[in-house]
Amino acid sequence: MSDIPFPGTGEALPLETQQEETAGLLGWVSSVDHKRIGIMYLLAALIYFGAGGIEALLMRIQLAKPVNSFLSPGAFDQIFTMHGTTMIFLVAMPVLTGLANYLIPLMIGASDVAFPRLNALSLWLLVFGGVLLYFSFIAGGAPAAGWFNYAPLSEKAYSTTQGVDYYSLGLLITGIGSVVAAINLIVTIIKYRAPGLTIKRLPLFVWMVLVTQILIILALPALNASLVMILIDRTLNAHFFQAVSGGSAVLWQHYFWAFGHPEVYIVILPAFGMISEVIPVFSRKPIYGYEYVAASTVAIGVLSFLVWAHHMFAVGLGHSVDSMFAISSLLIAVPTGVKIFNWIATMWHGSIRFTTAMLFATGFLVVFTIGGLSGVSLAIFPVDWQVTDTYYLVAHLHYVLFGGTVFGIFAGLYYWFPKMSGRMLDEKLGKWHFWTMLIGFNMTFFVMHLLGLMGMTRRVYTYPNYPGWGMLNMISTIGAVVMGISSLIFIWNIVVSLRQGEPAGDNPWEAWSLEWATTSPPPVHNFDRIPPIRSRRPLWDLAHPENPDWKNEH
Amino acid sequence: MNTEAQTLVESWDNNRLAMLFFLLSEGTFFAFLIIAYVYYHSVSNTGVMAAKVLDPLKTGVYTIFLLSSSFTVWRAEKCLRRGSQRAFKGWLLVTIVLGAVFLFGQGSEYLHLYGQDVTISRDIFGTSFFTLTGFHSLHVLLGLIALSVIFVLALQGEFAQQHSSAVETVALYWHFVDWVWVVIFSVIYLWTVF
Amino acid sequence: MLAIFVLVTALVLYAVVKFRRRPGDSEPRQVFGNSRMEKAWTIAPLLTVVILFIFTIHTMHSADRTPAPGRKPNLEIIAHQWWWEARYPQSGLTTANEIHIPVGKAWLVRLTSADVIHDWWVPDLGRKIDAIPGHPNNFWIQADKPGTYLGTCAEFCGAGHAWMRIRVIAQPESKFKAWEQHQLEVPPQPTSGEAAAGRKLFNKLTCDSCHRVAGTPARADIGPDLTHVASRETLAAGRLKDTPENLGKWISDPQKYKPGAHMPDFNFTQQQVNELVAYLETLK
Repeated sequence: MSDIPFPGTGEALPLETQQEETAGLLGWVSSVDHKRIGIMYLLAALIYFGAGGIEALLMRIQLAKPVNSFLSPGAFDQIFTMHGTTMIFLVAMPVLTGLANYLIPLMIGASDVAFPRLNALSLWLLVFGGVLLYFSFIAGGAPAAGWFNYAPLSEKAYSTTQGVDYYSLGLLITGIGSVVAAINLIVTIIKYRAPGLTIKRLPLFVWMVLVTQILIILALPALNASLVMILIDRTLNAHFFQAVSGGSAVLWQHYFWAFGHPEVYIVILPAFGMISEVIPVFSRKPIYGYEYVAASTVAIGVLSFLVWAHHMFAVGLGHSVDSMFAISSLLIAVPTGVKIFNWIATMWHGSIRFTTAMLFATGFLVVFTIGGLSGVSLAIFPVDWQVTDTYYLVAHLHYVLFGGTVFGIFAGLYYWFPKMSGRMLDEKLGKWHFWTMLIGFNMTFFVMHLLGLMGMTRRVYTYPNYPGWGMLNMISTIGAVVMGISSLIFIWNIVVSLRQGEPAGDNPWEAWSLEWATTSPPPVHNFDRIPPIRSRRPLWDLAHPENPDWKNEH
Repeated sequence: MNTEAQTLVESWDNNRLAMLFFLLSEGTFFAFLIIAYVYYHSVSNTGVMAAKVLDPLKTGVYTIFLLSSSFTVWRAEKCLRRGSQRAFKGWLLVTIVLGAVFLFGQGSEYLHLYGQDVTISRDIFGTSFFTLTGFHSLHVLLGLIALSVIFVLALQGEFAQQHSSAVETVALYWHFVDWVWVVIFSVIYLWTVF
Repeated sequence: MLAIFVLVTALVLYAVVKFRRRPGDSEPRQVFGNSRMEKAWTIAPLLTVVILFIFTIHTMHSADRTPAPGRKPNLEIIAHQWWWEARYPQSGLTTANEIHIPVGKAWLVRLTSADVIHDWWVPDLGRKIDAIPGHPNNFWIQADKPGTYLGTCAEFCGAGHAWMRIRVIAQPESKFKAWEQHQLEVPPQPTSGEAAAGRKLFNKLTCDSCHRVAGTPARADIGPDLTHVASRETLAAGRLKDTPENLGKWISDPQKYKPGAHMPDFNFTQQQVNELVAYLETLK
């Protein structure tokens, strides 16, 4: 056994992870080090973000004016399908998995995840699942039945290219990667915590990632079952979703949304976790109501499995069913609201430093609240009966997914980039990024609430020249261009800062969790020494021996 | 998480813990296929076809083989822990044989059904039946492969220690495969009788 | 909803201004929470959603009344890729895309689909509801004032989704009955000129393989019923205004106006187009 200290109650880690990394590209590609794997996840997500972003811009160009002919409906339908599929499966999930991968072992004082080779497998399954999906563009056509792939449109009779088959196979592969990564992270968090780091002392990011992984374990199988069933229908001429032969189109929707709804919580909870780390550090106070934020996470996790049919209010499932899902969907707003109030209370009477990370976290609070509130309005299903499947819904989903997840991710990236690279991101470029993003985002998506209320349905390649529609769509398109420019500023910031950013040091933000108790970037084995852990903020305790948390916390 | 549950979970080794969560996800996957079968049974009357073409008695016999293999793999684990290497290998071999008999039974049933023109594409019964039982058989096959690998390693003396995470983990998987079959057998075959 | 947004934004903006770090500030007081506050901001939202739920149920009942048992539908709509088939069970009328209803009456509509999932949405007349093969849905429409009510398909259904528009014309009862009567009439067959030639082409060039025209052997309902096509306001489910010129344009190149439409480009000559249009214009 090596004499590098390995903390936690788990078993000894395999020796490979404790050796020096191979040099060069081969070193990266063959790495089983969670830090390198995490960074590769982020890199893959960035590339797919570019693809998804281009898809978005193409759509917005087509929609900028009425009855436009920049894209045919055939092309548009493939593009909007790939945009949604890419952003959820190939951008949001990988970024969050990548950050979780990088940070969890560091935040719990471990030297790697429980199964480093399995970790590498998850990464490459993601990368190649995405490649398989994109291969469809040159193999007869990308899938064009929407990211939600409703039957019977997705059956062979109506989706005649192999796009849907690539969709199914690609997502089965990435889905397996996600489940494997989830198992890895759960075992790591259970078994590899440093001595003193009890579950109740977990950083909230770790806690929220843990709940998310359990959601993944229970929700991805619903998607896998659906994909398997549509593949069998398509390739073996089976009948799962074909009404004429006793199948059920509605069953697809139930199964897909049984996955799809927990999925959106899978994609938001880690972002909530990042916000829960960033806001306290830059407000210079501990998170307000730790137990309540943690408990509300569990409540959201449980409720997320009980709301799926709010995506199906227009299906005609009957008043009792609709009512039940309205109750659960209204209820899930409550723990989410609790979090928002706790985050604001953390800032209250704090001493707030507006670094770019904090700007995004603050922006998140307002933008995500808008998305959450439009969500509540949708839970009132008679309202939904008018606005579902319109641009009102497109606005809602982007406010929570972009305003929520992506803003949270930006906050997290600005916060942890110094730890990962050893250099600070440029704050001036960061502020440009933030303000252009905030303005561009709201320009793009706020007007969509209005368009939806005016009657514009979604998933349309064009629209008639109704009064006001052209102007609002044009504003949205301009906003999208601004968002594109903002993203380029961000990427430029990364490139420039990697080369000549200010050296970060161990703890540039004077933060308090364990990842800041080692160098930036950390050594291969993560820690030479772990500080004593007697509270939720070990580094605060070290820096403030006169007023340590363990004297004040309950 | 209360401390009792916490210590219980922490006392499992990494591999068994990982397998537990893996089985949770696989169990959910099977749940969805089972629900689909039940749904079509109620809504599209697949029970009629099931009663006509399935043989619960014959499949019941093969089921006994499969469930016995759960007992034998448990015996194998126990023998390993006691240090009885020969008994361990013996029980392991019996487990594999019992599992193979089950798979053989499934295969012959499929052939028989195919002969009667009951296929996955014929109707919704065929679709839901073959998908559910097919995935189960696939899991049995993968389990047999894993058990065979363990057996070969055992023959090479890999499990000289009286404690093996690999054996326990594969055994856990095998128990899952067996007991999922109890549910599937009840839903598909017993339902034709009652 | 707006109030909550204003509250949250106000709190955030206040915090941003008031609690900004000033140079020389020391670490603020470390506060960990307050269970009274937690209870307050859990209970208040909980009460709010309870109230919203009561409002939801109330609105559900008025927007989507349960039909009396045995109540038969007044109208049957079958959604197709990418047009709407309308059947009036009481009179036996079948038509397409342009749907007339009597003003002031609550009509029960039975909705289904011939292929993929579509969705009926005319915002001013009632709720949105899916047209699902194998899962018929019932819903109410009621127009309080005469007029033209526009809607569209609201569930992505393939390439023509954007141009699967709905046109409901609500008329006073007498006018509606007159319209219905007229629609049931069989248009006379043209016997001379371009129209007669066009009638022959309609059969020879396989138009009748997809389109029904009452009073002729053409029976198919793969495409919209064309019996009275020339009296409608629009063509191709709202894509074009129904004029002879547009009819000609549509027939010459359907893919130009509705890419992906199941009606192929027949490569007609201009002469053929003229004759077909002349025939179709007699179907008033």
